[in-house]
Amino acid sequence: MIVTIDGKEVSCERGEYLLDIATRAGIRIASLCHHEGLQGQGCCRLCTVEVETGRGDTGRGEGAQSGSFSDKKPRREIVAACIYPVEAECVVYTDSERVRRNRGILLALLRASAPASEEIAELCREFGAPDGARYEVQSGDGKCILCGLCAKACQTLGTGAISSVGRGTAKKISTPYDEPATVCVGCGSCAAVCPTGAIEVAEDGDERTIWNKTLTLTRCSRCGAVTGTAFEHYRASVHAGTEPPDLCPDCRRKAMTDTMAKTFGV
Amino acid sequence: MRIIAGEEINALLNTYPRNAMYTLAVMQDMQRQFGYVPREGLDALSGHLERPLSELYAIATFYKALSLTPRGKHIIKVCDGTVCHIRAGTNVLDGIYRALGIGPGEMTDDGEFSLELVNCLGACALAPVMVVDGTYYGKIAPESLHEVFDAIRAEGVID
Ligand code: SF4
Ligand code: FES
Ligand code: FES
Repeated sequence: MIVTIDGKEVSCERGEYLLDIATRAGIRIASLCHHEGLQGQGCCRLCTVEVETGRGDTGRGEGAQSGSFSDKKPRREIVAACIYPVEAECVVYTDSERVRRNRGILLALLRASAPASEEIAELCREFGAPDGARYEVQSGDGKCILCGLCAKACQTLGTGAISSVGRGTAKKISTPYDEPATVCVGCGSCAAVCPTGAIEVAEDGDERTIWNKTLTLTRCSRCGAVTGTAFEHYRASVHAGTEPPDLCPDCRRKAMTDTMAKTFGV
Repeated sequence: MRIIAGEEINALLNTYPRNAMYTLAVMQDMQRQFGYVPREGLDALSGHLERPLSELYAIATFYKALSLTPRGKHIIKVCDGTVCHIRAGTNVLDGIYRALGIGPGEMTDDGEFSLELVNCLGACALAPVMVVDGTYYGKIAPESLHEVFDAIRAEGVID
């Protein structure tokens, strides 16, 4: 199947998500709540694009002239690219007038709710966002846009230490009872997937502090790079029977190459 | 505050199969039986259903019908919807404060009454409105609140 994105023809499978197709073709679409490993959030709407479908069937112009609402009539609609599965050949505009306007408003609103986020400020610069009283910042230090990626990552990894708490304007992401979670292994995945840099991780010597919990770090025996936390490796050994890693991925690769080189005498 | 025994919680849990679909039902039962969803209850439920505590906490904090802190025997809901607001619903709050010494979200020391502020109770013609244990009181005169609460106290729990 072929979709045309900003004039460029790209082949894809039926049902593939538009954002993935565009990314593969090297076409940049703004996004925040999308993560390739945790599909389907679809809540920031930043990946807004315009999709035109049904164009191929309108050669005779019947639909347009009779004024009937047959689905053969070409339709231009605004969709969220990260959760839009391509079902038919279509033409996509990622930077039309309408997309620019919608995306600008979304960015300005996101900036107003998370004014301290460098990532959002950067997107505003890159894609443009309007100013004005409507988008005035209420309070200065928010970074979270409540996309839920962090909680989903934590849950997907089998820990489930954080979740959304409360509702409405008081909603936030936190641990149960705002206390250090017993189950948190300190892997830092939540902070790694957060698109706005909202989760704080502090590393100091042999300790990492995250969600008010301090954990002991483990290091690569060769180069000293951080390989995780002791509790993380302990949990992995209990649940999956894995050995705690002695080397970091880089050194492991090097060690492997050395062994191969020795074996084959190069 | 009443101490809730582990057996009470276990007995409640055991009336439900270990299936995530009963999560909310169990919490509602706890709310009814203990007047709130106790922390021990959530911990036990997390073990029972093998669901992370964080997920249960998200649910417990989402629904207004569930409370994480003890609520009184009698729940007073005072309307702060548009009409009641205009018809001086805040005077009702002042009246309750004078009669019982509690504000929104608080409970009397004897555990008899809790006060909640809600939006439109759907009886705007009776504004200002308050509901106690499901009974509506309309066109409230703040001075009369003393008597209302004394009567409720005397009658005991209305379910
Ligand atoms: S902390 Fe980050 S990942 Fe989590 S909900 Fe907020 S913005 Fe999303
Ligand atoms: S990236 Fe957030 S809705 Fe698509
Ligand atoms: S505003 Fe109070 S009942 Fe409607």
